[in-house]
Amino acid sequence: MRVLTSDRLDRFFATLAQTWELRLPILLPDGTRVIGSPDDGPIALLGIAILSKPTAAFFPQQETLFTASGGVLEEPLAPPRPLFVLGFTPRDLACLRFIDRFFADGWCDDIYFRLRQNSVVAGLSGYCGPGGTLLPPAGGDCDLELFWDGNSWLVIPYSEAGEAIVAELPDTAPPEAVELFRLAAMTPPDENEIVIKRASELLRGDRVPDSFWAEIGDRCIACTGCNLACPTCTCFGVQDWRTATQVERSRMWDSCQLDGFMREASGHNPLGSEALRTRRRIHHKLAADPERWGEISCFVCGRCDAVCPTGIGIFAVARELVARFG
Amino acid sequence: MKRTLTVCPYCGTGCTFYLVSDNGRLVGVEPSTTHPVSRGGLCVKGWNAFAFVHHPDRLTTPLVRRDGVLQPSSWDEALDLVVARLQAVQKRHGADAVMFASSAKATNEENYLLMKLARAVFGTNNIDHCARLCHSSTVTGLAETFGSGAMTNSISCIDQTDVILVIGSNSTEQHPLIGSRILNAAHSGTRLIVADNRRIRLSRHADLHLRHRNGSDVALLNGIMHVIIAEGLADREFIAARTENYAALAEAVADWTPERSAGATGLAADEIVAAARLFAGAERGMIVYSMGITQHSHGVDNVRCIAALALLTGNVGRPGTGVNPLRGQNNVQGGCDMGALPDVYSGYQKVSDPLLRDKFALAWGVTKLPAEPGLPLTRAMDAASAGLLRGMFIMGENPMLSDPDQGHARMALQNLELLVVQDIFLTETALLADIVLPAACYAEKEGTFTNTERRVQRLRKAVEPPGAARADWEIICDLAGRAGYSGMRYANPAAVMEEIATLTPIYGGIGYDRLDPHGLQWPCPDRSHPGTPILHLEHFSRGLGRFSPVAHRLPAELPDDRYPFVLTTGRTYFHWHTGSMTRRTHLLDREEPRSFIELHPDDAARLGVRERDSLLVSSRRGEVRTEARVTTMVIPGVVFMPFHFAEGAANVLTNNVLDPESSIPEFKVCAVRVEKMP
Repeated sequence: MRVLTSDRLDRFFATLAQTWELRLPILLPDGTRVIGSPDDGPIALLGIAILSKPTAAFFPQQETLFTASGGVLEEPLAPPRPLFVLGFTPRDLACLRFIDRFFADGWCDDIYFRLRQNSVVAGLSGYCGPGGTLLPPAGGDCDLELFWDGNSWLVIPYSEAGEAIVAELPDTAPPEAVELFRLAAMTPPDENEIVIKRASELLRGDRVPDSFWAEIGDRCIACTGCNLACPTCTCFGVQDWRTATQVERSRMWDSCQLDGFMREASGHNPLGSEALRTRRRIHHKLAADPERWGEISCFVCGRCDAVCPTGIGIFAVARELVARFG
Repeated sequence: MKRTLTVCPYCGTGCTFYLVSDNGRLVGVEPSTTHPVSRGGLCVKGWNAFAFVHHPDRLTTPLVRRDGVLQPSSWDEALDLVVARLQAVQKRHGADAVMFASSAKATNEENYLLMKLARAVFGTNNIDHCARLCHSSTVTGLAETFGSGAMTNSISCIDQTDVILVIGSNSTEQHPLIGSRILNAAHSGTRLIVADNRRIRLSRHADLHLRHRNGSDVALLNGIMHVIIAEGLADREFIAARTENYAALAEAVADWTPERSAGATGLAADEIVAAARLFAGAERGMIVYSMGITQHSHGVDNVRCIAALALLTGNVGRPGTGVNPLRGQNNVQGGCDMGALPDVYSGYQKVSDPLLRDKFALAWGVTKLPAEPGLPLTRAMDAASAGLLRGMFIMGENPMLSDPDQGHARMALQNLELLVVQDIFLTETALLADIVLPAACYAEKEGTFTNTERRVQRLRKAVEPPGAARADWEIICDLAGRAGYSGMRYANPAAVMEEIATLTPIYGGIGYDRLDPHGLQWPCPDRSHPGTPILHLEHFSRGLGRFSPVAHRLPAELPDDRYPFVLTTGRTYFHWHTGSMTRRTHLLDREEPRSFIELHPDDAARLGVRERDSLLVSSRRGEVRTEARVTTMVIPGVVFMPFHFAEGAANVLTNNVLDPESSIPEFKVCAVRVEKMP
């Protein structure tokens, strides 16, 4: 377990920047925090919750798949330097693990792995949650982890790449910090985690009537923010832009809250109401994915609740559902 | 990767977000977590606001019509030609033979500059913009009653009120982050009255949903005010201290019993009584309205009634109250503030006032400015079709789809000697132009937009414009120089704002250095002023609030045997106005790819129409083919069409009849026939 003091952070990142394309928690001019390029603003490892999803580093909102011109197909190249992405909370890392598996399951989404392959993923934990709350250690879902004990960063490598990166840092973690790290790992599940699990049980037990979804659906304005902010949502749409000389195909984040997502060419839509679409979204995360993958695919990051303008993010829905039917 | 904080280019809510770019191309949007209006959220248009910017249809070079065909040209050739031909038209037919149409999509600085170009360089007050089509009734009606034609309160007041009356506003679709706030308030105990005969989303969360007849708002509001007075629910203290002309209102509504109001609106008398008691019984009440109120041949009268209801119940000048017109376009408030209107300079300073003319003439370095108010946009189209107006310069507007009676608009535009269109895409209007100038879009330039709550916010450049396209402000300044005027040379838009601040009292304290992070709300008269979240706190802008009672007038065209349906027009959630941006945004166009008409199931059954059947819809102006959407969203006898679609354009059908005071067209009511296509 290595140690990195705050005054050495800049030098640490400057060294990394020689090898990697950095994506770090950044404080933007209006106080919004994102995982972005150091050019975007000051590095801010502590602060308010990061609402944009960290998985966007590998699966951006829109990206070119290829351009076709004169019988030649050109695909985008891998970036000249691989990505180093810091800022995944332990829950974000669970999301990343989930979509890594999804994008490699039975086929390989080469566009995703173009950015993901050879990247280094670094977690953030310790007292660096919103308002200084304690985030438990991530453990093995990343190459290395930075754990804030309130004074300095403990740096824990989990992979060869991580080992190489931390090799130069002093190996002088004070015993009380190591103890804090050990205790933090035993943090009990929070209320949201419990409620999500209970909601999952109720859905899988078919205990939630359609009338509930009609009420929730009435509050959905189809902003699509829940999907676009969710680190485990992987659906995308595809568009072609044609000019006289070429076609450019790109993909962009899509949303199952949109009518067109499931509308058939006939015009019939098996999910033709907000109620059915909202039911499907929650059902997918809490009932279908446990059956397919053995785990709920909501890792309780809270982003959909934070971006939803009408208060029907997954926590809010799960809480209401458990209160009424649980 | 680069992140640029900027303002959404769609509605007047004024959400801010970061445009994410990579190697000079936009790749996404990230909401601002801290913005007081959007608060980390966005609507579907905002989330997709990056997606049209690099579309291959973008205009990249000036186009000049030669041998009947628009052909690429140099900037020098195109701009010299614009100036020469505008001047030639003016020489032959007088200064007022040309008209400038500004844009509620463009920045404050650009609206100010086009206004200055029209007045100082080309010597005409013929300048207007699409506010004429949306809230000109508000500007007229509220100026008369309150002294200021803007939203009185702030969006955050929705969290502080006890009852909200939403009338003629589909807020969750057209101002989604405001509508959401209203929806949330309703779930947190705020009482909600929705007056709109479409079954809009907010109506599902309302305590009362009043589905009154199209065009019967005056009858409804007079009926409500009658009950408030009759039952002693009026705020007598407020009326005595802060208003004038109450006796005239009381007399005017004395006959508007709930029964009479019910007869005129199609509602039950007890619905009107319930609405009156609910609204007047609350400590704090907000009125929120939009095009359903303004787009009538009696739109100004509707606004007068709304102002009177707020005065009668003492709901002005406090948090959680007010008359709150939701401005449609991202910068329609700013377009008006900047004087892109035929009768006022920036800050609503009247061109008819000789002292103000002198002030602007001195500042602009010209000897004389025109004194007579110019033509409103809608009347300009009439003048063009009559051959009285000979040249038009249109920046960022598409009247071929947005004006009423498309046949009339086409004829007017084709009748011009010179049509210049400055835009980002080759719109239906640009296709008719003699010269087309390619402009930068919102993501490619600096400036400010003013949102519906009067919040002036910074727009920032994230990427370069395509090809030879240039920012509107640069093009306008270049034109001024070529016309021989040396008073429009600016280093950047910030310098334009400095000039605006010196000439415009309500913007006196606005400067780019003061707008981070979330802007300032006008009036902001000096550099130390913190901005004004709520208007009319101690007194109205005009002194006392004025009751302006009105009589009920029917819409200009009502259904008859030949045209038995009322057609009301509007927008959908997924598209923006004439669709030049949203129809080129993959996900948005996928949601609503085709023109459609909403038809009640009873009417559909009677006509033998099924969902998605092809229909022919005709009015006295023309006919369009569209697709049936059978839904209880509308009441029997009323059909609704959005005006986004060039194919199946609703404005082929609408009636070019104008409110006599605001010159707004009656988009909300005309008579049509609906037939199933064989």
